[in-house]
Amino acid sequence: MDASPSTGNDVSDVLRRLAVVFAEFEGRLAQTPLIRKLTRGRFTIQDYAAFLIGLRQQVKEGAQWMSRAASNIDDEHLELRSILMRHAVTEHRDFRLLEADYVAAGGTLGEIRGAEKNIGSEALSAWMFHEASRPNPFGLLGAMWIIEGLGQIKALEWGRLVQSRLGLPDEAVRFLVYHGENDAEHIKEFETMLALVLPDPAVARRIVRTAEVTARLYALQIEEIMP
Amino acid sequence: MTALRDAYITGTSAILPGAPVGNDQIEDHIGRICGRGSLLGRRALRWNGVKTRHYALDTQGAATDSNAGMCAKAVLGALDDARLGRGDLGYLAAATTQGDYLVPGHGVTVHGELGGGPLEVASFQSVCGSSLMAAKAAWLNIRAGEHQVAAACAGEFSSRWFQPAFYEGTTLVDAKGRLAAEADYLRFTLSDGAGAIIVEPAPRADRLSLKIDFIDVVSLAGDFEPCMWAGAPIATRADAAGVWSHTGPAAAHKAGAVALLQDFELLKRVIRAWVGVYLKKVDEGRIVPAAVDWLLCHYSAQSLRDELMSLLERTAGAIPVEKWFSNLPWVGNVGSASIWIMLDEFMRSGRLARGQKVLCVVPESGRSLVGFMMLEAV
Repeated sequence: MDASPSTGNDVSDVLRRLAVVFAEFEGRLAQTPLIRKLTRGRFTIQDYAAFLIGLRQQVKEGAQWMSRAASNIDDEHLELRSILMRHAVTEHRDFRLLEADYVAAGGTLGEIRGAEKNIGSEALSAWMFHEASRPNPFGLLGAMWIIEGLGQIKALEWGRLVQSRLGLPDEAVRFLVYHGENDAEHIKEFETMLALVLPDPAVARRIVRTAEVTARLYALQIEEIMP
Repeated sequence: MTALRDAYITGTSAILPGAPVGNDQIEDHIGRICGRGSLLGRRALRWNGVKTRHYALDTQGAATDSNAGMCAKAVLGALDDARLGRGDLGYLAAATTQGDYLVPGHGVTVHGELGGGPLEVASFQSVCGSSLMAAKAAWLNIRAGEHQVAAACAGEFSSRWFQPAFYEGTTLVDAKGRLAAEADYLRFTLSDGAGAIIVEPAPRADRLSLKIDFIDVVSLAGDFEPCMWAGAPIATRADAAGVWSHTGPAAAHKAGAVALLQDFELLKRVIRAWVGVYLKKVDEGRIVPAAVDWLLCHYSAQSLRDELMSLLERTAGAIPVEKWFSNLPWVGNVGSASIWIMLDEFMRSGRLARGQKVLCVVPESGRSLVGFMMLEAV
């Protein structure tokens, strides 16, 4: 295959487009009222509580849509199915950690578990399960790039800012800080997954498109967080 | 409408004041805060990789030149390099981060130092990227046929802003006399000098000229808060209505609002954003990494962390390190002037061959801006 830029079906081309989508996503996140408060030093404990409530739904559902996606992958792509299932197993209890942080920061389990999804979370959740329900939902690799990128790059940054602004103990920021710690293997593993479904121009387009939609809806979820 | 013409860089020049100053002599020129040497300086130098630099302040703290003075010398040097004189110049675009005056602008101040008859001038004030803003104005003025000879110059006299009086007696110095990292880092990173280019509608017949293919300047200021700034205290820097001029100079100084400051945490995000802009240019085909013969980047490869270098490699966006040319380690980081100082040394190095493409990249952390200039040797 021609590996020059703009062929649109090569692993590095897709990675490059995803990197651009992520960079623009970071810019959009930085403009949301909640993250502005965090970076401008006006973040309160109420903001943190609302932040954790806002994140919980997507964290909880992450392993669920990943499992559903795995169940829709055909026998020609067993390796990808295995990777997704392993991912789902690794992550499906993470929301418990987030709940524990909420309690350590002064909230109650009842509050965080009983909270309603915000408008952005509703849209994001519907989108993820819709995509995961399609046969061979390879576009979701784009969604994983966005959501895992958040975990690898943004969570630690946010976690440290939250901790220093609010003077919270380690046990109140474990979800954000813990997620940011193992970023070295991130791109390499992702490259492996892409190579399992590429080259294929239609799949390449779908991965990038799914990343764009997921990034927009994720930012909407953060925009809709109001203490 | 008449067609736009091509425009070429036909002369370059660099002005580096005084003798090179080694890492151990920095504070002999910029001074010591509360009389004590900086603890952070060593770390800053390891990170920025600068070994020697130049200052327009002598060891007594006396100025040996001005920002506009160095710029004027650079313009005359570049005119001379192009085998032209002051009388040939029609348009002057002048860039800087912090000019000599608050008012009037840098352009007229440089013209004042340059002397001579009427000129069209323009001032570009930002940080490192102001160099390419000025270059774009010079290029377009030639392209549009408005002038026959244009100069773009850029200069910095950062060291005078690093003297102890800018920090002592402010909230930037703690009870033990230690300067805040946001301020101290830049004292060991930036230095003085100026550079200039001449742009004309025809290449030189006797030697290589550089055809300007494009100049793209991209600001992401809508996404990010000030990352390197002067004029506001650290805590309230994002609020443009709360800058130094509201409280008056004495109160602003006390609040640490006058010194030049850098936010490191934000810088990490801004660097990723720069890489994002670059990769978008690659994706759009505006920049084709494989077609670039030389990369002049106002940022060292070592400062881009491994994770970003790896991202560039995996996305087919990387330009091999052998193609990078930089004189940052021995001339220092001269802000907006750096790219012209680098281009001048590159042109004199004999490395360039006809037909080769030179990509200049100028990131500016000020408020997350990045500029690209593609040149072709003709």
